[in-house]
Amino acid sequence: MDGQLQFVQLEMMVIALGLLVLLADLFLSESARPSLGWIAAGALGLVFLLSFRSGYTGLAGDEAFGGIYRLDGLALFFKRFFLLAAIFVLVFAVDFASRLRSGVSEYQAFILFALSGMMFTASANDFSLLFVSIELITVTFYILVSFQRHRMHSLEAGVKYLILGAVSSAFLVYGIALVFGEAGSLKFDAIRDAHAGLLGSNVFLFGMLFVFAGLAFKISAFPFQVWAPDVYQGAPTPTTTFLAVGSKAAGFVLLIRLFGSVVPELTAQWIGMLMVVAALTILYGNLCALPQRNLKRLLAYSSIANAGYLLMGIVAQSGDGTAAILYYLAGYLFTLVAAFMIINLVTREGEGEDISCLAGLNKRSPFLALALTLCAVSLAGIPPLAGFFGKFLLVKSVAAKAFGDAGYFALLAVAVFGVVVSIYYYFGIIRAIYWSKETPDDSPVAVAWPTRVALGLCVAAILYLGILPNKPINWANAAAKIETVAK
Amino acid sequence: MNTAAWLILLLPLFSAVAIGLGAFRSRKASAAMSVGAVVGSFLLTLLLIAAGGELHPNVIWLKIEGLQIDIGLQIDGLCKLMLCVVTGVGSLIHIFSLGYMREDRDFQRYFAFLSLFIFSMLGIVLADNFVMMFIFWELVGVSSYLLIGFWFEKPSAADAAKKAFLTNRVGDFGFLIGILMVWAVLGSVRFADLAKVVPGETAAITGLAGFLIFCGAMGKSAQTPLHVWLPDAMEGPTPVSALIHAATMVAAGVYMLCRVFFLIEGTWAMEAIAWIGGLTSLMAALMAVQQDDIKRILAYSTLSQLGYMVMAVGLGSPDAAMFHLTTHASFKALLFLGAGSVIVALHHEQDIWKMGGLRERMPRTYWTFLIGTMALCGVPLFSGFFSKEAILDVALENNILLFLVAVFVALLTTFYMTRLFVVAFMGEPRSAHAKNAAENSAVMTVPLLLLAVPSVLAGYFNAHAPNPLVLAASVVVLVFSMLVANTLYNGAEADPLPARFGRLAKALRDRFWFDEIYQWCIDNVQENLAKLADTIDRWVIAGLLVRGTHGTTELAGRVLRLAQTGNLQTYAFWFAVGLVALLIFTLT
Repeated sequence: MDGQLQFVQLEMMVIALGLLVLLADLFLSESARPSLGWIAAGALGLVFLLSFRSGYTGLAGDEAFGGIYRLDGLALFFKRFFLLAAIFVLVFAVDFASRLRSGVSEYQAFILFALSGMMFTASANDFSLLFVSIELITVTFYILVSFQRHRMHSLEAGVKYLILGAVSSAFLVYGIALVFGEAGSLKFDAIRDAHAGLLGSNVFLFGMLFVFAGLAFKISAFPFQVWAPDVYQGAPTPTTTFLAVGSKAAGFVLLIRLFGSVVPELTAQWIGMLMVVAALTILYGNLCALPQRNLKRLLAYSSIANAGYLLMGIVAQSGDGTAAILYYLAGYLFTLVAAFMIINLVTREGEGEDISCLAGLNKRSPFLALALTLCAVSLAGIPPLAGFFGKFLLVKSVAAKAFGDAGYFALLAVAVFGVVVSIYYYFGIIRAIYWSKETPDDSPVAVAWPTRVALGLCVAAILYLGILPNKPINWANAAAKIETVAK
Repeated sequence: MNTAAWLILLLPLFSAVAIGLGAFRSRKASAAMSVGAVVGSFLLTLLLIAAGGELHPNVIWLKIEGLQIDIGLQIDGLCKLMLCVVTGVGSLIHIFSLGYMREDRDFQRYFAFLSLFIFSMLGIVLADNFVMMFIFWELVGVSSYLLIGFWFEKPSAADAAKKAFLTNRVGDFGFLIGILMVWAVLGSVRFADLAKVVPGETAAITGLAGFLIFCGAMGKSAQTPLHVWLPDAMEGPTPVSALIHAATMVAAGVYMLCRVFFLIEGTWAMEAIAWIGGLTSLMAALMAVQQDDIKRILAYSTLSQLGYMVMAVGLGSPDAAMFHLTTHASFKALLFLGAGSVIVALHHEQDIWKMGGLRERMPRTYWTFLIGTMALCGVPLFSGFFSKEAILDVALENNILLFLVAVFVALLTTFYMTRLFVVAFMGEPRSAHAKNAAENSAVMTVPLLLLAVPSVLAGYFNAHAPNPLVLAASVVVLVFSMLVANTLYNGAEADPLPARFGRLAKALRDRFWFDEIYQWCIDNVQENLAKLADTIDRWVIAGLLVRGTHGTTELAGRVLRLAQTGNLQTYAFWFAVGLVALLIFTLT
């Protein structure tokens, strides 16, 4: 057992850090507690660096705990991804502390616990670990979403997320039970061997579809997307960020592992359904975003649309498709973190996040205006930014399959249409920044230095991923190779 | 060495970005950054030359299955020579600008643009493939637009910038088609690969591609009929004129022709290029005879010398063209900067008939301008003599008619330069400004002195024994034309030519009405086409297509929003419906 614990060293560090934050809370004064987030973020930075240690990466390709936990390139990539996301969200949470009113340290600790859940999902190689880690994320998010107890919106979002989340968990666990009944095992390795023979079994298909529905809820794919706008809007903004980036990516790592590597033949059989889901998700997200004036809601719809684009990588059923998902998610992380941070800085407590609050931002803070513009342009998929390259790779991976099946072309057409539509509302943001007629407020925006550094890093990453894509593509390709252990 | 090569290209970019983003608060720091970048590039160029050999640094920008895009540099003898010209002359012009632009409000913006321009120009010189060259080619277009229109509050400057940009775009259109054709027919855009496959292709096709590519050179190097932008571009600050119209941008076309000479060699395109070059040099020299603005005279003279170079390429000798390009870059930059020095001393007076008697008042400018003039006229033993001789040699061997044209242009060149020199520097001052003129400070005169050195000596690097016939012809026209011009203009108060030649002089003065003809074409053809396109755009595209699509999608968005009731029970209901739909979809 001792030898196996080194597999989960990163997760253990994160959980220990969460406990330490809770403990430190007892000894700190009210005013000093928010700054604890910066220290926690720094500590996570250390964990992030430790993940590159050869003693740890040397374990890659192996399984632990009787095969339910798997450490490979994909898992490593996502663990680092989640760590980065959490670092940014913690820095963000410090800015947000005054709006939480109470329980600042608990908020930070819950972010860390959710993070540990995400890191476990990256390694899940068994339905039991899959379910437990997913629930660890979801349950902590119920709390994170409703954390502003003095705000009706936050509570409403919490209740909605709780009930719909419970429904999806029910789907998931029911599906797992059915799959177990047919395959006789919860282990991915066993299901991988058995599934080709079960493609004719309706019970197995039923089960897998329920599992898919549970995961589709996580990534907010059509038709399980209705919760996203309300919850994104009502939740405290750092929670929204973590939900949109971390929780979504956790769903995707499981989809990649499950549908890319465990049941590839089922994926091939369901390819039509996956294409339809991807296409409808793209359409729904983009079309609903068009008339939107609330920025957080706008980004919620945009995040639905992005889930659709990402599903294209699953549809491609290839290493290239997986690599494209990873690349896209990386760009999405930096873009969304920066966008939400800026929106939070610009809006005031008690006021809504109406798009008009961006008016005159270029005079209030040219740096924030430029950064938000870059985010919008990147999300719209315009070169030379990260969003363009991610979309390019996704489209390319699907196009590689397209010769021989018209359905792929239809999906590509929908994707392109979605991108065109999205340019309209993303540029609405830019227009609001630079060309608003009335600028009700022209006071400069104060930005704390850690936030400034975080924003600077995000902007640099968006530019780097867009302008010098060669190295990151190699990383993504390396991580996308999922080898299975021959037994 | 590869790092050095990349640094040559990237230093000016870094400077442009740093100044442009406002990294420096003080004017001095910005200028120092810009000057430092170009001088750094120059020193690195010298390092590359000292190291010798050829380099092909190459980075893979993007590599995914089925697609690889490289960024590569090709550093050979041709490239090094041009690097030396661009960064060397560029350095001196940067330094001169410190003095010339001293009092300008937008001092920092000026240096940011200057660095951007040098970066773009170096990109053309270093590129190892057509695509990269085209990108930098357009960047040169953009940065020259910014520099020519630097004083954009002046309508004439803004118009000139626009004119330069648009005229260049006309040529670039041909260039782009040429590149696409090369890519389609020959299957590569890298010069090194192309040089290998071209010999196996039909001459008619490569000739056509070569001619289309030459269209790009016609724009940048201002060959007839796309020459109209260059004289107007004199609206920019004078150091910019020296930079763009002597050493760099206009030379880019000639450089590019030499770079892709393998493509046109032995095809019909050569003949066409030679004649266009000859014609340009003749017309420009004629027009220069009757101009009064000191910078415009130099601009037409530049056109005429560029015609020489293009003609040399067309006659099959890129070596002679590059030789003349190099010597011309130094002495023409010297002349432009000398003119700039005069203009500053005379409080921005540019009419040569309001100058005079500057010899005693501005001795350093006087002597260096004299050296530049002698080099341009081709006085034996000055640099221009050797390079002009080389071109005349080639012309005599290949095409006797063009040889006669070239000799006649040489005669005209000596005539208008003597006219300029005698009127501006000799005799008595013709205005109060000229009377009070005083020599400029060292920051402006030292670059003049430094440029005077290569103007005299650059020819010896490539000197060879001239053909006796050519030598005789050029010396005779030189002496004859100098004497005539001196008799006509020494002590003259106004130009005597209009009185004697009337209509001919007027035609020259009005530049053969090229601008008027173009204007007429634009008014009558383009305006109507534009109106038609506007109607289609307004009613069909904007009205039907855009508004129609916009309306439909917007409506769809609003309808879909109805599903988003905010009611939890409804949401849970949609969940169930969705799942059932998926079940039906997958199980049937």
